This record gives sequence, C-alpha cells and structure tokens, in this order.
Amino acid sequence: MRNVLAIARKELSIYFTTPWAYVVFTAMIAISSFFFVAMMDTFQQVQDMARTMGWARLPADYTAYKNLTDGVVIQLWGVVTVITLFVAPFLSMRLFAEEKRQKTFELLMTAPLRPSEIVLGKYLGGLGVIAATLGLTIVFPLVLQLFGVSPEGQPVLEWTTVLLGYFGVLLWGATCIAVGMFVSALTESQMLAAFLTFTVLLPWMLLRGLARGAEEPWRSVINHLSFDSQLQNLMKGVLDLKALIFFASVILFSLLLTHRTVEAQRWT
Amino acid sequence: MPMIEVSNLTKRYRDRVAVEALSFSLEPGEILGFLGPNGAGKSTTMKMLTGFLPPTSGTVKVAGFDVFEKPLEVKRRIGYLPETPPLYLEMTVRGYLKFVARIKGVKAKALTGEVDRVAERIGLTQVMDRVIQNLSKGFKQRVGIAQALLNSPALLILDEPTEGLDPTQRAEMRDLVKGLAGQHTVILSTHILPEVTNTCTRVLILNQGRMVAFDEIQNLAHAFGQTDHVSLEDIFLKLTAA
Repeated sequence: MRNVLAIARKELSIYFTTPWAYVVFTAMIAISSFFFVAMMDTFQQVQDMARTMGWARLPADYTAYKNLTDGVVIQLWGVVTVITLFVAPFLSMRLFAEEKRQKTFELLMTAPLRPSEIVLGKYLGGLGVIAATLGLTIVFPLVLQLFGVSPEGQPVLEWTTVLLGYFGVLLWGATCIAVGMFVSALTESQMLAAFLTFTVLLPWMLLRGLARGAEEPWRSVINHLSFDSQLQNLMKGVLDLKALIFFASVILFSLLLTHRTVEAQRWT
Repeated sequence: MPMIEVSNLTKRYRDRVAVEALSFSLEPGEILGFLGPNGAGKSTTMKMLTGFLPPTSGTVKVAGFDVFEKPLEVKRRIGYLPETPPLYLEMTVRGYLKFVARIKGVKAKALTGEVDRVAERIGLTQVMDRVIQNLSKGFKQRVGIAQALLNSPALLILDEPTEGLDPTQRAEMRDLVKGLAGQHTVILSTHILPEVTNTCTRVLILNQGRMVAFDEIQNLAHAFGQTDHVSLEDIFLKLTAA
C-alpha cells in the first residue's frame, strides 16, 4: 500500500507541474460554461413561454424545463460526460507511455515493486487528476443554488438527483482513465495512446446508434454494452445497480489487462 | 555464498544472438569491470541481471535468490543505473530521490536522512531543489548514480556511470566506486579503460555476446605479454579484434 501511494503521489506531482493538467482544466471549464450559459438561456425561454401559454399547451418533452435540476443540471452532466470523453485520453496517455519513452520504466521495473502496485499507484494518480478536472464542474449547481429562484416551498435544486448524476459523471471519468491507462501501457508514444484511447471510447459510447438497426437479441446485447445507455439512468439520478456493475467491470477488466501488459514485460 | 552467480545466460532476438552462454560469479565486495565494444551485449546483460529483461535461457542468482523466481528479494538488493539515467525531468532532485527512496522501501522516518546522506556523497547538495530538466548532463548523471545508491544495496550495477562527466568528476567517481569496495559488490561497465585499471579487482570482456576474458588484470597482462607493461588497452584491442 505504501508503494501504491508513493507512485500515486509521484504521478500527481508530475501532473500538476506540467501544463497538461491545467490545459485540460481550462478546456473543461470553458466548454462546459459555454453549454451552461446556453442551457440557462433555453430554460429561461421555455419558462417564459410557459408563463404566457401554460405548461399544458407546451409539447410534452418541455416538462423537463419545469425545474432547474432536470432542465439544466442533468443536461449539463450529459455534456460533461462528452467533454470527459475528449479530454480524459490526454490525461491518461502519459501514464505508461511516458515512462517507456523516458526510460524511467526501467527504474520502476527494477525497484522492489510488484506490477500490481505500479498499476494501482498509477491508476490512483490518474483518478486524482480526473477527479480534480470533474470537481471543477460542481461549481455550476452551486451557482444555481446560490442565485436560482424557485416557486414557494420548493428547493432550487434536487440535490440527491444532482449528486447521483454527478457520481455517474465521476464513474464515467474513472472508466475513461482505466481504459486510457491500458492503451498507454501498450505503446511508447503518448500521442498514439491518446488517439487510440479516443478511438476505443467514442464508438463504445455511440454503440446505441448501432443497436437501432440491429435485430433482437443483438439489439439488447449492444444496448447493454453501450456506455451511453448505461449512463442514461445514472445521469438522471437513478441509482442503477446494473450500470454500477457494468462500469466497475470495465474498470476492473482494464486494470487486469494493464497488469498483464506490465507483467508481460518480464517475458518478452 | 557468491553475491551474484550467472550461469549460461543467453539472450537471442530471433536469429540474432545478443549474449551467448555467459557464466561468471562474484564474491561480496568485489568490483568487476565489464568491458566490450559497443554492441557487445553489455547493456543487455545488465538488464538481464536486474530482472528488467528476461533471458532466453540461463539463470541469474543474487545472494542465492533466482531473479525470476524471487524478483522482489533480488530487486531489494540491487541498485541499478541504466544506460540512460531514469530521471523524471519535471521533478526536483530532492523530490525524485525521495520518491526512489520510498519505492526502495526506506522507512518514512529515515527518508530525509538517507536522501541527504547519498546527496552529500555524490555531491548533489547544492542542486537539491532544482528541477532535473535544468541540470547539466554531468549533474543528471550524478542524480542517476545517487538513485542507485539509495538504501545501500549490496549489489550495484552501473551501466557507464562516468558517461558525460568531466575529468574532475570522473576522478571523483573513481574514488567513490573504490570507496564502495568491501561493503558493496559492483559491476561497472565503461569505455574508459584506465578507470578499470584503477578501480576494479577483476575484468570481464565481452565481444559479440561472448565472454572472451574473465580474470584479474595482472593475470591477463601476464597471459598477453612477457612484462607488466602490457596495458589493459592492448589486451582489450587484441581480444575484441575479430
């Protein structure tokens, strides 16, 4: 455990001394702010329409705009997961590729460390930096809580829903880093690692589109495997055990594969 | 019990032979000069001795532990400086040495003391808080050596430790390695032959993956000439001419 923490600490200190982490933080905040403002705008417009025409005469899917939780925050979490898909590969790419390129991998492999300690330490470091990136976005519901108004007797935000959705976002971030770390262990080139991670994550996210054209039982299978459909419920604030198990398995499987890859170093 | 025992160590990459049937052993406290022309297989051998690279066949035992059956026991006893010093360029010297000390199992309480001890010994005290990236090549090399010395490993494997050092630093390094004799077993590869004559008790010469000599320097000199005037350089050139 001591070794795991030593490695995690080293990873974090390197993340925060290089510009990468800050570039990613800025991208995350800038892009999600842009969407946040746009969503607030839409929310305002729908509310205005409802005030003049009444909710009953608006299309059914506008009911999401009745409150800030469903009208803004839940939708924002959806956007944040997409941004995460784009930025997480840039955080995970260096985990192993850089060690190999800089020849520091020899240091780790000849120190009295187990491969599992190296993998876990690196994953913890990666989790730390993705948590910091996603941690910034909690600012949006906080802003709403501080400045939002709601009808008498109702809370501005449904915090249980907001936080459950946020938990889904974090889980998604953890999944991206795990997959990215495995890809990073396969190559010496960071750019290649980032690109490959992205080409794994994006189609996996979009599998649901493929499911529409498929026959049963393939349709259910594809749907079940798609990141997007697994995230759906979590995003809405429903604690979906199936989705939890799904993401936990993807993370675990990625860690096992990374472990195998590091271990294979000793046999090739 | 020998500190390190290598038997029939072989590394092949498809049909290319990097190291062929290498066998030798060293007693505790000995300093071995590991010589050979570029591409003779020195670095490959060193990587196999530390367990970084698996051999095609043959075994390596450190203090009686097999490198592949008991890797942790072996790694605990080895300090290794690879060909390229394994440095995290973004870290400060102090941060880096502390990290290495931690993964080598130095206790939290002893950490600062151990890092300071090694830093002083290698002459790094004045650069401790600088970022490694900004150091001169000589200092980078010294940080690499310092890293190998942390936690006083019984066996030191140094791949061209004097590479990139100026003559003064090289002389310091020679004294340092000499000072290690007795308490540490050292395997040292280098291209600078006078260094070997000055510091090493025995030499091993590798040519095209095969061991062509493994003996004390005097004995080699006797074998190759009538007088003691034969230099290690002459022996080296003769043995590796092919």
